[in-house]
Amino acid sequence: MSGLKVQKIDSVTIEQFRFRNIADLLSLNTPVIFKNYGPGQLSTVAFRGTSSNHTAVLWNGLNINLPTLGQTDFSTIPVAGFDQLSVQYGSSASIVGTDAVGGSILLSSSKPEAGLQVMIGRQQESFRNSQTQATIKFGTRLNSTWNFSGKTAAYDGNMNNRYRHPERNGDAISPSTTFQKGLVQDLFFSNNKHELSAHVWLTDNKLTNNPENLAGRQMTRIKSYRTMLRYEIEGWTVRTSWIRDIIDYAIGDYSTLDHAVTDRYGIRGERTFEWKVGKSGSTIQMQTGGEFTHYKTQVENYERPVITENRGDFFILTRWQTTSRLLISANLRQALVTGYNPPFTPSLGAEYRLIQNLPYSIKLKGSVGRSYRVPTLNERYWKDLGNPNIKPENGFNKEAGAEAGYVLNKIHSFTANLTAYHNWIDNWTYWNPTNNFRVENLQMVIARGAEMQFGWKGNWEYWKFAGMLNYALTSTSQEKTFDAYASDIVGKQLPHIPLHTGNVTMFMQYKNFRLTNQLQIISKRYTTADHSQSVPAYMLENLIIETNFNRPHFRASLQGRVNNVSNTFYQTINGNPMPGRSFAISLLLSAKTIR
Amino acid sequence: MKKQLTRILTVTLISAIAWSCNQSDPAPKGTYVQGVFVINEGNFSQNNGNISFLAREKNIADSDIFSIVNGSSLKGGMQGYTVAGDHGIILVDNSDPGLDKVEIVDANLFTSTGSIGAPDVENPREVVAIGSNKAYVTNWGTLNSNSTYPTGYVAVIDLATKKVIKKIDTDKGPENMVLYNEKVFVGDYAYSGGKNLTVINTASDAVTRSISFSAAPNPIGIDANGKLWVEAGLELIRLNPDTYEKESSIKISTDVSKSAGNFAMSPDLRTIYFVLSDFTRGETYKFQITDTAVNLAAPFAKRAFTGLAVDPRQGLIYAGVTPSYTQSGYAIRYRADGTLVDSVKVGIAPTGFYFR
Repeated sequence: MSGLKVQKIDSVTIEQFRFRNIADLLSLNTPVIFKNYGPGQLSTVAFRGTSSNHTAVLWNGLNINLPTLGQTDFSTIPVAGFDQLSVQYGSSASIVGTDAVGGSILLSSSKPEAGLQVMIGRQQESFRNSQTQATIKFGTRLNSTWNFSGKTAAYDGNMNNRYRHPERNGDAISPSTTFQKGLVQDLFFSNNKHELSAHVWLTDNKLTNNPENLAGRQMTRIKSYRTMLRYEIEGWTVRTSWIRDIIDYAIGDYSTLDHAVTDRYGIRGERTFEWKVGKSGSTIQMQTGGEFTHYKTQVENYERPVITENRGDFFILTRWQTTSRLLISANLRQALVTGYNPPFTPSLGAEYRLIQNLPYSIKLKGSVGRSYRVPTLNERYWKDLGNPNIKPENGFNKEAGAEAGYVLNKIHSFTANLTAYHNWIDNWTYWNPTNNFRVENLQMVIARGAEMQFGWKGNWEYWKFAGMLNYALTSTSQEKTFDAYASDIVGKQLPHIPLHTGNVTMFMQYKNFRLTNQLQIISKRYTTADHSQSVPAYMLENLIIETNFNRPHFRASLQGRVNNVSNTFYQTINGNPMPGRSFAISLLLSAKTIR
Repeated sequence: MKKQLTRILTVTLISAIAWSCNQSDPAPKGTYVQGVFVINEGNFSQNNGNISFLAREKNIADSDIFSIVNGSSLKGGMQGYTVAGDHGIILVDNSDPGLDKVEIVDANLFTSTGSIGAPDVENPREVVAIGSNKAYVTNWGTLNSNSTYPTGYVAVIDLATKKVIKKIDTDKGPENMVLYNEKVFVGDYAYSGGKNLTVINTASDAVTRSISFSAAPNPIGIDANGKLWVEAGLELIRLNPDTYEKESSIKISTDVSKSAGNFAMSPDLRTIYFVLSDFTRGETYKFQITDTAVNLAAPFAKRAFTGLAVDPRQGLIYAGVTPSYTQSGYAIRYRADGTLVDSVKVGIAPTGFYFR
């Protein structure tokens, strides 16, 4: 959609974070905030001042948020699990559907090039943590018209978290272990008209809190099987999908598990049209289609042992390139859910290229759109506390911004980006403690803020320098008085969301050596809604040194990293200390055929 | 001039006498010698419970006095506080297993003097002082993996050495305790499955008797006539604490969706206050120990509270309000006739009060 801010994470950054978690990558390169419970532990998102339910996570276009919780635990997504990553800011419900209230995280697979490539890598970290990865990519011609390509990747991560100093400032670091495995399989059959692709992503994440305490240890295991078949022919796209999410939980004795299984069977069809308008080069592109998903969930604490529901979506997305400077888009979506219907969600966006002559370019953007969030299965079906009649949340997002580029000369280039937004979200659900924690549509939240990004690159013959600065101002507060005591919280910044956040990445490179410095700054956060308690601001710094060895058939890259260089004391969301300075070293070997 | 000299001499003399009195019988000194201690449970997953202090004549409480005095927080949910001699005993329940503790402070200054942790303390619930050098702390122990309750215990703390000297096994989910002569009556948490009131002899620190009930017994206190009141399954039972005979019982309500809790006795030990609620809403009632029924038509307050206690010194009723677990609660003060005195902002989830 035009008018929305989309940040594509470049392949160099993805490569640099190859052995890390998506939350590390996003918090060091975007203004997205994570609420983390400790290393390898639950990590939920707060995008533009919204809740962890307000970010859609899409894998090849398919929403993979856990339907029971309506969110993703980002600690279960390693960067090794996907090829491409984009961040879509703001509401894009008309395109994405539910959950895209604060923003969307788009993960996707890319089609491998021709030839065979084999990669194997290992990272060894402090605290006896490690990760191993292996990838095979291939692409071949089957006959004169058909091509076949694919990727198989596996990763295996072990976080033992054996801290040498289990206390920081006199407080115990909460002990935990995380074992994470995953398998990715992509296959593409294509010719110039057709493309058939199959995608599989299996993940298994086992977190144990207090593993040494046999009576009190706590295990959370999330297994997801995600599969998808996609077929494209001359403007038509059909996609079928099946996702199974299994959550197992136990305390102390693991012989009986609290077991929850949710299946989603989906089908989606889409048709793209394109028309030329007159002879001016103006074009209209329209995508129209529908999506149907059948949900089946078995959760012990739900009101019925097996619960099914159907959800459907119809959409029309249009893009009108009116002139070479002006692009307008208008989108409509209506979702249908068993029992009730979420609001109709239209959106309108525009982009105008104010200046597009080198060395300068300036593009203005703006959009308005409605958004919605279908209540989670927990909110609807949890025994006694859930509410089958809970209303979907609905939002209205407005934003405007500008993007500028300036190429000074062959060496220096600059980019800048400024966006301001206002996002109103009503019927925000609340597990009301004064009503025995029953879920109710009590709150109305307004999130507003601004984001600024500034980048510089300097490329000399052997030397390269770059700096990228992100700053975000996020002011987000509950605005509706729903009981006598709500006056203590109305209008105050939501807990755990910093007013100011920033990150700076700088690197210097000489030939094959690169030194990167990553900084992250988080301002004071209130830990209670009435601002009676808070945790102080902090700054984290990481240093990365990398080198690589290149031959036509072979490549080796070596990375050394120091996390939290200054040994900053900072805390998890539940007040436990995070570990101090730590080290990691990784080696990635790859071999490929040459055409 | 002479007059002035006399005055100076008199003042000096009085001071000298006062000083000498002080010498022979030192009054305790410190910020926390007298006042109301509010036990703010906090939000369990955030480990942010604390203790607020309110001087009786003020209507602004000092929040988190442990942090003010010691520079670091208690790191857990607050489950109880009492004073034995010069020792303040704080029960801290952390969301991580193995990090629960009993923190011991100087009762007058609130400075930390010691701490007892795992494995002696696990899920501490309530504390009672046995004289000035011993305390009993009920502990649930670690819950079973299916959230059922194992046999709990009373940890006997020797305050001189700051050690648990004995663990006395009780029924499941031991909770409230009432001290009477050389006995402690230990009740069970309403949802624990325990149905026995355990009697412990405080001299031998041993169980002498177990009295069974139809539902989890919750001992309330000893009334003006020396009788023990116990609530069990919406029934109020008057028990003879010497013979253990159940003398009479009053049905509070027949509405099983409701539960009764937060019992508190008036200073004259003739009135008992409690909250009857179905968690969503409820009312606060009072009854006299001579009543044959609870008058549900005339509540003391038309609202439920998360904590309730009566100040033995002034007779004011202190009621804890928890609007949510992410914001400060309030302590509302009522007179015995039900009229409102004031409302004081305290910490998160006020569930108990200690009066000194």
